[in-house]
Amino acid sequence: MKTLRGRNEKGSTFICAVCTIAIISLIGANVLMNATTRYNMTTKQVKGWKEALYAAEAGGDIAFSEVRKVVSSPGNQFTGTGWTTVDSTHWTYTMPAGIGDSNTMTSTVAVDNFTSLGGNPMYRIRSVGTARVYGLRRTGMSDGITGLATNFAATGARGDGDNLLRKIDFNYDHFMATYGDGDGNYKHQQAVPTDASGNPLAQVSRRIELIAVPTLPITGALLASGGFNSGGGVIDSYDSKNGAYPGNSTATNPAAPYYSDSRDANVVDGGSTWNQGGYIYGSVTTNGGNASTARISGVVDNNVPVTQAVQPMPTGQTYQPTVGKAFTPIAGSSYATGPWYLFSSLTGASISNPSGTAETYVNVVVTGDLDTTMTVARGVNVRFYFTGDLSIKGKNFNNNNVDGSPSTNPSRAGHVQFYGISPTAPATQSLNMSPPGDIQALVYAPGGDFHEQGNNDFYGAIVCKTFSGNGSTGFHFDKELGNTAAPLDYRIASYVEDVR
Amino acid sequence: MKLSRHHKFDGFTLSEMMMSVAIGTFILAAVLVSSVALQKSLAAVDNFFDTHMQQIRIMDYLGRDVRRSTIVNTSVDLQTVNCTIPDYIIKAGDPDATGTNIGTRRTPTISQSVNVVKVNYGTTTTTVVFSISGNTILRTENGSVTTIASSTDQLVAKTTDVQLANTEYTASTVTFLPIFTHNDVSMERTGTTAFATAYLRNMRRGN
Repeated sequence: MKTLRGRNEKGSTFICAVCTIAIISLIGANVLMNATTRYNMTTKQVKGWKEALYAAEAGGDIAFSEVRKVVSSPGNQFTGTGWTTVDSTHWTYTMPAGIGDSNTMTSTVAVDNFTSLGGNPMYRIRSVGTARVYGLRRTGMSDGITGLATNFAATGARGDGDNLLRKIDFNYDHFMATYGDGDGNYKHQQAVPTDASGNPLAQVSRRIELIAVPTLPITGALLASGGFNSGGGVIDSYDSKNGAYPGNSTATNPAAPYYSDSRDANVVDGGSTWNQGGYIYGSVTTNGGNASTARISGVVDNNVPVTQAVQPMPTGQTYQPTVGKAFTPIAGSSYATGPWYLFSSLTGASISNPSGTAETYVNVVVTGDLDTTMTVARGVNVRFYFTGDLSIKGKNFNNNNVDGSPSTNPSRAGHVQFYGISPTAPATQSLNMSPPGDIQALVYAPGGDFHEQGNNDFYGAIVCKTFSGNGSTGFHFDKELGNTAAPLDYRIASYVEDVR
Repeated sequence: MKLSRHHKFDGFTLSEMMMSVAIGTFILAAVLVSSVALQKSLAAVDNFFDTHMQQIRIMDYLGRDVRRSTIVNTSVDLQTVNCTIPDYIIKAGDPDATGTNIGTRRTPTISQSVNVVKVNYGTTTTTVVFSISGNTILRTENGSVTTIASSTDQLVAKTTDVQLANTEYTASTVTFLPIFTHNDVSMERTGTTAFATAYLRNMRRGN
């Protein structure tokens, strides 16, 4: 009989090999697990977190485009697909369909007209963007980082490390449960969406708030984009919130109460022609002109190009039934919500106030020539949009508003505004100002040639293509007009993110 | 019957033993060295991912805070970033805080100067400072410190603040030196560089 003993020796080798492989596999598996979790975090969770912001900003952009319609298409703002009007100052938007990867990014927006200034509404846009978080349902590896900052309420409640930054909702919306609508109202437990099998789908939400404010056209006393030849009158400024124009001696008397307000009558000449007559209490810029500091109180810069926005014809408005040139408009709380009236030409207008002397707003479109022979009752804010020429004469111009009152809309000149619809170049509009009498108004006609004669006074501001004069008309810029002119557009003036 | 088993139980000669022990020792040493090297390599991979995760976190923190800032300034060495952020949430101790509005969103006020409209969230602001302290990156919000990254891999974050005519942005890079390097250390660091650009949303379109 033969005895074979070789097997025992082979067995120990096998066990050694298995142990070695097992140890190395454990090390490798541990590393792979860690790497997988970190990969999950640096790709899937970061992706979801960033996409949530993209969705929130997409919602903000959609809302902003609606806000811009306040200027470009009045009356049609917040009326598109997905929009709901809550009341006259609140609107909501829900994205009709998801966007992005598998349509898993969505946005909801709330817009409100939270305040107005000079009749121009300011809009607050609150957008919530939500994006799906793919990958492993892991809260991330603990990095031993502890939230200490005050905005990380309840230290450690959200875990450590990345969870302080990217707050992923695996089962419930943490924001709704903790902060409700953001102000602590309507707190509730809201589950995240589920798949077809009822399994919760992790998501992340980010919240931004934008403030849209109007872009206003008035930057100084006088802007002529194509040349400046002035008469001999003084150009200075005042602020009607302090009452009526204090007189042209203020600008030369540092002890005068409103001395600082008197020296902001900036003049902008976008052409290379510069011929100055009277003293200018403000800064001057030209585009290749030869303005010097002589008889100019502020800074002079002869190398400033000017891009002047055209004045388009308003669109989208609904006109009231035809009325005579003497009429009482429907009351309006702002230009955006005020009534619109249409005339083929207008001279000798008389606009009464439907609300006594309370502030009311009205828009008038004139598809021809306009004459400033008119009477505007106290409290009436009127904007004239005209396509023809403008004849300016103070003698029969009766603006019954008063500087300094009311305090929220103190400019007498700001109550009557003339907007010349820009003709197709090279055509221009004629804006002729003749004596006698004073004018308190805003004239914004970027396609108009303004010509003044006589020795009267103009209170307000002028924007035109060319400016010329041969009289001694005094121009007194009301600084409040910077706030009350019709906006050219809207812009985003503020962006904040709710990082809770 | 004669048994013939001597062939099966012959011992090894001394030279055979010496050779086998030498070969065995060599093989064992190779296995040990390989195991240690493999473990170190895997640890380095683990560490690389861990540091990369922190690298991403630094940029995400920076991007989020820069984006909502009104003012951003960087230091000369580009390693400290100061952000001024609107106070969106009313906190205890704020001038306008009452017993009921703490933790709520603040309604901004609008101020105008000629044709410039400005939005103000209260009279105070939040200051956030990103800085490097040893091997850690710190985020200090109104004096409260949070360590947002900590690594032995020598994380270095650098941020440049670029101001243009109508906008402003920051360009950031975050690098680290892996614990396993070859000869060219600078190349190893360059190989880990991640870039990020964040625009100040509050510095656009005519502000």
